[in-house]
Amino acid sequence: MLSRLVLVSASSLKGSGPLGAGLVQASRSLQTSSQSLAPVPPLPEKGGKVRHGIFPEELFQLLYPKTGVTGPYMLGTGLLLYMLSKEIYVINHETFAALSVGSVIVYGVKKFGPDVAAFADKLNEEKVAKAQEVKDLAVTSLAQAIDDEKKEQWRVEGRSMLFDAKRNNVAVLLETNYRERLHMVTHEVKRRLDYQIALQHLHTRMEQEHMVNWVEKSVIGSLTAEQEKASIAKCISDLTVLSKSQAHATA
Amino acid sequence: MAGRRVALKAVDWLAFAERVPANQRPMFNALKTRSDAIGAKLTSLPETPTVIDWSYYKSAVAKAGMVDEFEKQFKALQIPEPVDTQTSAINAQEAEANKSAAEYVEASKARIAQYEKELDKFKNMIPFDQMTIEDLNDTFPETKLDKVKHPYWPHKPIAEL
Repeated sequence: MLSRLVLVSASSLKGSGPLGAGLVQASRSLQTSSQSLAPVPPLPEKGGKVRHGIFPEELFQLLYPKTGVTGPYMLGTGLLLYMLSKEIYVINHETFAALSVGSVIVYGVKKFGPDVAAFADKLNEEKVAKAQEVKDLAVTSLAQAIDDEKKEQWRVEGRSMLFDAKRNNVAVLLETNYRERLHMVTHEVKRRLDYQIALQHLHTRMEQEHMVNWVEKSVIGSLTAEQEKASIAKCISDLTVLSKSQAHATA
Repeated sequence: MAGRRVALKAVDWLAFAERVPANQRPMFNALKTRSDAIGAKLTSLPETPTVIDWSYYKSAVAKAGMVDEFEKQFKALQIPEPVDTQTSAINAQEAEANKSAAEYVEASKARIAQYEKELDKFKNMIPFDQMTIEDLNDTFPETKLDKVKHPYWPHKPIAEL
């Protein structure tokens, strides 16, 4: 009942904001003292419905079956008149003070209430948004971290490829070396055989040239003096015959 | 003279490249260029050496028996295959790498478990607008105000407000 009244007075402030938290603390402390561990249900968005700012709607609903719509009003009027007429409530200067202060308060709350409530709500929203941001950031970074770790594990699985590549390199190097050796052997053997053949060719060529030179020399040496004279006489006689025939031809 | 002996295991360089992390990429590139150079050198050498035409040499060389002797020795020659000294070292490296990889994977799994635990905590916590300060202190212990160390409000150093 006490918490209900507190709720009612706070209902003209439309937000439930910080006041609501305090209220829930009050109700929460009741719950914790009775040692129930169920999570507390969320706060209601609005306070209980009231009429004319003070009177809870439940009263009207309670009296509706018996007395209809006007019932509670009649009850209220009757109670008020009873208290005034029997002087249970005495009208004095306090009454007017209460009325003035009350009207100012009501006017103030009605005019500035929504703004103040919005401001308080905004403060709370900012706090919640900041916390939410932190939570979202944490969730995304954790998910990212998990993905990264999985990726790194996948990378690690590829390590055998490195060693395959290395072994391949070694095998290829060995093969290359072996082939080079083969080639070198054949090349060297061929070189030696070719050298022999070249040597032979050189020998035959030199012998040929030497022989030719020798033959020439011997021929020139064997040309005796009388052979030379005979050849020169022959040349002269040939020339005279030629000149005679030439002279005959021109004459 | 035998040709190709050991069959090479085909290395899928594309898949290999995918698995290389960014900080080891230069090493991978160096390995690839080296491997390519070695492979190119292999393909540039013909598999069998040029055949020597013994009949031509027999007819051409005058020295008696020289070609025959060469031919006999040549045919009898066994070229030793180069000795493989590195494969055992590589295998040892591979075993070691496997061990350290297993350790790394274990540590990684532990890290993943821890991350998943924290993720679950975040997923299962009550929404902020239904929390009280006590719930907040339970979910995030770092928000708890130390009322013993700082007994007076605001229960934390002024600098942290």
